[in-house]
Amino acid sequence: MTHTGHDDISCQRLILDKLLEFEEGTMPPGERERLQHHIEECPPCVQFLSTYRATGRTLRMLKPREIPPALAKTVMAFVRARSGKKP
Amino acid sequence: MVNEQEPTDLDLVRRIKAGDEAAFEEMVQRYHARVYSIAYGVLRNSEDAEEATQDTFLTLYRKIGTFDESKKFFSWFYRVALNQAYSRARRRPTPTVNIDEYLPRFSSDGHLAGPDVPDWSAGVEDQASARELVERAGEFIAQLPPAYRDVIWMYDVEEIPAADIADTLEISIPAFKSRLHRARLYVRQRLSEISRAPEKAEAAV
Repeated sequence: MTHTGHDDISCQRLILDKLLEFEEGTMPPGERERLQHHIEECPPCVQFLSTYRATGRTLRMLKPREIPPALAKTVMAFVRARSGKKP
Repeated sequence: MVNEQEPTDLDLVRRIKAGDEAAFEEMVQRYHARVYSIAYGVLRNSEDAEEATQDTFLTLYRKIGTFDESKKFFSWFYRVALNQAYSRARRRPTPTVNIDEYLPRFSSDGHLAGPDVPDWSAGVEDQASARELVERAGEFIAQLPPAYRDVIWMYDVEEIPAADIADTLEISIPAFKSRLHRARLYVRQRLSEISRAPEKAEAAV
């Protein structure tokens, strides 16, 4: 991949150092624009970004899991039995 | 069970310290699902996660007297939960990966060396392939060194705020961000690899 050399942002710097802030939207607008500009001209970064975002969506789908329905009761019974008291 | 005014964690802590058993039960109601979920992130097994949850609340019951009320309760308590999960996990150690082997590679001038894998991001929208991706992501996270695994699990899966995680793990925000990002890069890379060999991924279903 050749670049036009319009700025000092390399893919490496973007991906390793800047991407988290870029995604969180906590970056100064000027810097954000420079990165955006790099991405627009860099197909590997476009794809990297889309799979990075897809990774985040995948991880969030890990969450909805079943909590054992009687867990709170089991916990209370366990603590009562082990504490020697009767909470 | 439902009060008009929810007692704060600290209210409950003080009542538990004074021997109020209803307050302890309310704490169980409030936190059992979260504790289970944190334990599940470490242990990846519902039976172990359930037992770790029980141990966590027993520890709460026994050690609440040592809790410093100037600190945030949940940070202290999540740390108790993590420690319980770890001590259980040590009984059946899983090998951890070297995260550096799965970070993106660049040319000497810092350019990303072309799309290394097919763009699999659309797969997240498809129910069947999303299920596969989610399942594998769970396995990949489980192989991370604990310092990374806890951060990505708590932030990206549990969606706990960054400041709370940093507080719980007793790390700085920059350290939190660095670990989170590296862990994400690792998971992205591993998910990309299974997408490169779709026939293999399907055979594993």
